[in-house]
Amino acid sequence: MTDHDAAGGGAARFVGQSIKRVEDPRLVTGHGRYVDDIVLPGMLHAAFLRSDYARARIAMVDISRATAMAGVHAVFTAAELNHHVDSLAASVNPRDAPKTPAHVLAAGDVRFVGDPIALVLADSRYLAEDALELIDIEYEPLTPVIDFESAADSVDLVHPELGSNLGSSVSSVDSNLSAVFAAAETVITETFHQHRQCNMPMETRGIVAHWEPFAGRLDVWASTQSPHELTATAARILGLGQHQVRVHMGDVGGAFGQKIFVGREEMALLLAARDVARPVKWIEDRRENLIAANSARVDRVKVSMAVNGDGVILGAQIDHLTDSGAYPNGGKPASGSNMVSMFPGPYRMSNLGWTTATVYTNTLGRGAYRGPWQMETVARELMMDRVAAEIGVDPLEFRRRNIISEDELPYTTATGRVYENITPSETLEQAVSMLDYEQFRIQQSDARSVGRLLGVGISACIEPTSAGRGALGSEGATVRVERDGNVNVFIGTGSHGQSLETTIAQVVADQLGISMDSISFHQGHGTPYGFGTGGSRSAVIAGGAARAAAIGVREKILSIAAELLEAASADLGIEDGFVSVAGTPSRRVSLAVVANTAYSDPEALPDGIEGGLEHAARFQAPPVTYSNATHVCTCEVDPATGLVTILRYIVSEDCGVMVNPMVVEGQIAGGVVQGIGGALYEEARYDLDGNPLTTTLMDYLIPTAAEVPLIEYGHIVTPSNTPGGHKGVGEGGAIAAPPCVLNAVNDALACMNVNLTHLAATPDAIVTALAAALA
Amino acid sequence: MVVNGAEHVAAVEARKTLADFLREDCLTTGVHLGCEQGACGACTVILDGQAVRSCLLFAVQASGSAVTTAEGLAGADGSLNVVQEAFRECHGLQCGFCTPGLVVTVTAYLADHPDPGRDEIRSALSGNLCRCTGYQGIIAAVEQAAVIAALQGGIS
Amino acid sequence: MMALRLARPEHLVDLNGVTELDSVQAIDGLLRIGAMTRQFVVGADSTVADQVPLLALATPYIGHFQIRNRGTVGGSVAHADPSAEYPTVVVALDAELEVSSTRGTRRIGAAEFFEGPMMTALGPDELLTAIRFPVWAGRSGFSFREVSRRHGDFALVGVAVGIELDESTTIRRAAIALLGVEGRPRRAPDAEAALVGTAISAVDAGEMGRLALKPLRATDDIHASAEYRRRVGAHLVSQAVEEACRRASEVDGD
Repeated sequence: MTDHDAAGGGAARFVGQSIKRVEDPRLVTGHGRYVDDIVLPGMLHAAFLRSDYARARIAMVDISRATAMAGVHAVFTAAELNHHVDSLAASVNPRDAPKTPAHVLAAGDVRFVGDPIALVLADSRYLAEDALELIDIEYEPLTPVIDFESAADSVDLVHPELGSNLGSSVSSVDSNLSAVFAAAETVITETFHQHRQCNMPMETRGIVAHWEPFAGRLDVWASTQSPHELTATAARILGLGQHQVRVHMGDVGGAFGQKIFVGREEMALLLAARDVARPVKWIEDRRENLIAANSARVDRVKVSMAVNGDGVILGAQIDHLTDSGAYPNGGKPASGSNMVSMFPGPYRMSNLGWTTATVYTNTLGRGAYRGPWQMETVARELMMDRVAAEIGVDPLEFRRRNIISEDELPYTTATGRVYENITPSETLEQAVSMLDYEQFRIQQSDARSVGRLLGVGISACIEPTSAGRGALGSEGATVRVERDGNVNVFIGTGSHGQSLETTIAQVVADQLGISMDSISFHQGHGTPYGFGTGGSRSAVIAGGAARAAAIGVREKILSIAAELLEAASADLGIEDGFVSVAGTPSRRVSLAVVANTAYSDPEALPDGIEGGLEHAARFQAPPVTYSNATHVCTCEVDPATGLVTILRYIVSEDCGVMVNPMVVEGQIAGGVVQGIGGALYEEARYDLDGNPLTTTLMDYLIPTAAEVPLIEYGHIVTPSNTPGGHKGVGEGGAIAAPPCVLNAVNDALACMNVNLTHLAATPDAIVTALAAALA
Repeated sequence: MVVNGAEHVAAVEARKTLADFLREDCLTTGVHLGCEQGACGACTVILDGQAVRSCLLFAVQASGSAVTTAEGLAGADGSLNVVQEAFRECHGLQCGFCTPGLVVTVTAYLADHPDPGRDEIRSALSGNLCRCTGYQGIIAAVEQAAVIAALQGGIS
Repeated sequence: MMALRLARPEHLVDLNGVTELDSVQAIDGLLRIGAMTRQFVVGADSTVADQVPLLALATPYIGHFQIRNRGTVGGSVAHADPSAEYPTVVVALDAELEVSSTRGTRRIGAAEFFEGPMMTALGPDELLTAIRFPVWAGRSGFSFREVSRRHGDFALVGVAVGIELDESTTIRRAAIALLGVEGRPRRAPDAEAALVGTAISAVDAGEMGRLALKPLRATDDIHASAEYRRRVGAHLVSQAVEEACRRASEVDGD
């Protein structure tokens, strides 16, 4: 049942509008409250000693000099902390998921450069770092496993206790495939590589924890995406009940997946907090963030694709390998299941065989990063252009022949995904129309005749948002009207830039007929369980919960008001905080009076209505809600320097009913620029010994304002099946952008016989490829 | 040191950075540390009229100077300056961590360059990293702030 | 360096209060710039732009404006990063470095000053106090070009070129200095010699690029390979030579 008007009777005054953000006044004036802004009396500051080797035995570690240093309160190593923790697994992991060994701190050996070995607590961060220099340590270096492509066969084990560097391996044979390939007009095989990237949020990780033994209470402030995951993990490793843990959610400076699970350093800090029973603070510095938080996107995919004589895709075989590093976030190796099952994307592809595997290496652990499975779009969209070139068809035409259109819905893919309410073909057409694709091809040809290399790239994707299974399947919200008619909303999200303080308020304000100023938004302690914010889930699932809770309160408001106004509920409306009888605006009562009645005047309540004025609701999401987009961009490549300038970047997006179009465009833009970064600038590199080479922001290069084009948006609105008709959108930009950019670069270089199959397309890679092609 | 108009007197370790001094001793926690290496711009403050990286200065080097942070750009009554208002209008922020440094940078920049073109704006912003917005709203905010500031007779 | 705990000086002296080191003076055919003169001043000063155009051309490439607000010309030169712009201008123009200590003041020529990456001929007790840039009178044109990954980043490779013409169109003097190729800025004597005595119209800019890079051993790092630096360095030399020649020819001979 679709219900995308404002059910419950609330008029859509805010949903659908680009309402200015509630968060902004404090953030633009520097009055945000991030974890490093938390200062508590007696607080101690933490610093970690980290491994200088990718793989080594710790022959000796002596903390006595550090412990004795003035200003140092405690030094912890694996000996003191590790025995408390038997698993690094996130609370939402499937029970049968493989597990990474549970070493909170390195115990006897180190497994990547940056591996935390010791934790110092001191009066200041400066002193704590001074103390690190007093820790004596001797390593016996071992041969590290750095190359993920050979890790599975290596005799050197990243985690000896696991007996293998293979984290997992799954495959699916399509029994038709060999016949399809044999009969196909053309079968093309290509291998694509995506390189290591880092989430690099502007705020690094950080946590403050305070254990009060006499109160039996742990207070935690953290830079987190999921206060409830942190609650559960803190309780588990400290042997507390979840009711004894209060996670306070303040402002969080971005994460993109880095902060959804609890990392080893945070666990160590929590254990140390319990030990010293004083507030303790750890704020990660940027070097640590780049070498020890998480990295992502080390993926290789070999694609074989069969097409018939009409340029129609018949089937494909994909073989995927990804690097989990040493300690992947969430305590389990990366899963390729989303990657393979989304590979068909928006195209008809009746047959698909696949394998996906992940390995451990002595490098930084893999963590979720905005669309973690996006290698499916990267490989697929690059392959679309590759195949198109091979069969001599324009890449747009090739896509047109294969893309799913609205009249084919619902459509079941070869991997069993059922698409509905999506518009791949429509977004493709809108995007290329916004560019004027034919005109660009003429421009490109004219430019080539004077030696300038312009190119156009297309990338179409379907985004599986709002995954609604298991612990992720629902979100809860409580909406409470206080005695003066103002409203508190409690919700289990972890907004860290997604503007939920504003968008959730929009949803609630519409249902309750009040102004946004009347609403206060609360995350963290005291809120109902929720997975947190990530996976493009908040508009659908959290929004759904807030809506349902608000509708519940609305019904009660109307019942009470009906009694007070001696009217029928059905004849009442709420506007500007007043409940009035339709057609007779003078017959009205304020929300404050209704609330006061609910709390203080039980005799005045209608029969069967209890006192109080709040409602808690849980919204169960469908298993998945698909959104989709097509990106088109143009670029110029300078063949002499390899520098790429993006000229135009166009996104045609269908994310259903937008709660706040301004917020949607901001999410798309942020993802697109991360994708541009991944295509052209960002590379997290290791040398052959496993030493990280990109440890500062002068080495790990994210785009600046000078590198980004103006992004142009086209919106198509196809409501989802969920109340409100919303879909997720947060990750789409980062999913579709990298291959869009690389396709444009390859299109520019095609006349020079260059085709890049590895991201990033750095100036060096381009110049080198051009020189090789000319040789 | 005068910080946002208020005098601060303190004795600090020679190695304490201006950024840490502002955050800890002056309680202007709007000065954010994104890298502590001068690369990200989140710690940008105005020192004697110029935008500088507070993480690259020792507090003692700013002794006797006047420092303005994002907190100091807002009015005493909580009103936003023209740049802060433009950031809000144009959705120039999401998580807000880079924002104080940006607002300071832009205020300083527009004071010296009241009528910048789009490419000049992009160059001027290139020393402040943002990971959330893709810079779209930020560039729009600078353009809007320039227009409004010009109408008001300049960035105050 | 200190933030990364790589350098731990026992004593740190702040030169920001030494105002006499912040100066721009024209003195007999040269421009003497005090070591503490801010980069943004060097980039905006009209005397600098007029007398040593290469400095004005190079300055916008240095980092970001917030860095140029505090960074100094002496700081950049004494730090001697192989990708830095000002050291390259110093080498291109054969500037002299004025260096002082309790033992007195001496001058070091540009060719001897830069010894390697972050290494100069400054003694441990010496302070760079000023740089004396020769002024090219006559019909001269300059060009500064560099390639970096992003706007404001350290250069991957770059070049500073000065061309001076005689009364007609023949090159009388040429200076080419490369940054980011080797561990310190390097001149291109072969290319310079080939340019002197040549008419502008006969200049083979591409060949000058090739000649300039030929004797150099380029460095590899994570941002660019040695081969990239060679190829693109040659390209930038040819572009800069063309541009400098054009600018020189546009100056009224007088």
